[in-house]
Amino acid sequence: ERIPGPSLAGISRGPVDQGPSLCVLADSREICSGPEVISCLRAEHGLRVQVCPLGSSDYIVSNRLAVDRLLQSELQSPGNRNRLSQRLRRLQGSFERICVIVETDRVRPGETSRFFQRTQHYDGVLSALVQAGIRILFSSRQEETAALLKDLALVEHRKGAAIQVPTEPEGHRRDILNLYLSIPNLSYGAALNLCHSFGSVAAVANSSVPALAEGARLSRPQAEELHRFLHHDFDLQLLPQPLPAKGK
Amino acid sequence: PVTAGSIVVPYGHVIGNEKWRGSEVAQRLQGKLIFEDGLGLVDFHLSNRTCILLISEADLVAGDEFKRRLVRFRNASSLRGIVIVEKTQISDQYYLGIQKLVVLELGMVLLPVANQGEASQLIIQLVSFSVREQSRDRGTNPFLCKQHAQLAEPAVLQTVQQIPGVGKTKALLLLQQFGSIHQLCNVSINELEEVVGQTVAQQIYTF
Repeated sequence: ERIPGPSLAGISRGPVDQGPSLCVLADSREICSGPEVISCLRAEHGLRVQVCPLGSSDYIVSNRLAVDRLLQSELQSPGNRNRLSQRLRRLQGSFERICVIVETDRVRPGETSRFFQRTQHYDGVLSALVQAGIRILFSSRQEETAALLKDLALVEHRKGAAIQVPTEPEGHRRDILNLYLSIPNLSYGAALNLCHSFGSVAAVANSSVPALAEGARLSRPQAEELHRFLHHDFDLQLLPQPLPAKGK
Repeated sequence: PVTAGSIVVPYGHVIGNEKWRGSEVAQRLQGKLIFEDGLGLVDFHLSNRTCILLISEADLVAGDEFKRRLVRFRNASSLRGIVIVEKTQISDQYYLGIQKLVVLELGMVLLPVANQGEASQLIIQLVSFSVREQSRDRGTNPFLCKQHAQLAEPAVLQTVQQIPGVGKTKALLLLQQFGSIHQLCNVSINELEEVVGQTVAQQIYTF
């Protein structure tokens, strides 16, 4: 949709000095696979980067937007198709918006610049992403990816969707966060919001759908799904594997 | 200014702006391409909902005219616009700026190609997906979420086990007794004690 308001250039000059800095969650695996992205986000753009075990996506830049960083070669080879589609479908379960950043593969020392042979498969993957409503950005190196992540976080901030809760709960709150994280299709960001907005698990369980949507910053259907889950009437017969009989 | 009325695109075809007649893209799309006058800002129509704006290397080097065209399209049309841009060694320097404008500010799709040949191949793939979309054969898109109902039981059990002091056995007992997480959160400590014993009941209650 259209984004009104001032141009990005005006804001990006000094996001660091104005109020609390923008926050991005990064998956722990990115420490190995995208170290320059993370250090660039911190050092150059002044973002607060919280590294945590996201599992689902590489980055979470707002309450509703997840970003996956893909290498161009991953899109080139048909072998990756299943893994990629599973990953993105899972993301669609927990996020309103998904963006992929297609990054050019790094040229290893001693290697001359690799010639990128565009395949039909590659075009097919792009077409499928477009049709599925997944945003695509292109980057030629990790520093550019960092700049794109910052831009996305800025846009989301302007739309009032920025992550604005403490991202490192401790002690008892850590346990509560882990409980929320075990709920299917609930993103890491939503779990953090639940921790922050509700005093206890009981308060969450007793909330209405609109209150859940407000407190966890979820869309209406996602809040409904959470509500259903909390009220789900457990039926032992429906567990997949038969359990050993328990003497009582 | 965009188009007059709605465009009907024959199945599996592309309607192309007259200005591309004789170009390399047009030649490669031969057999799939129908030319039409008065498409205005749009270069190709893939369906009655989706169209393509093609920005050439020359457009990029020439200046900002193409930006005005994109903004005019965005303001005037409710069609889904896919912008294909020729990203070459010469035009590479402009790419990041264009991406920011098209994707982040205008909320449109932007896809880079190296030349018109690649553009035509990409258009062919886009057409094939657009055909599938129109035929409601959406299941063939690997990235669209298929909503299949999943049993909540294993997940509910997992969640209850996150309560300190509660393992699989106690979680099962609790759920069999109280039914849902919601109910479990609303029972008295006495009721909990009847199921799991005093210490764990206290732990659950204070959690």
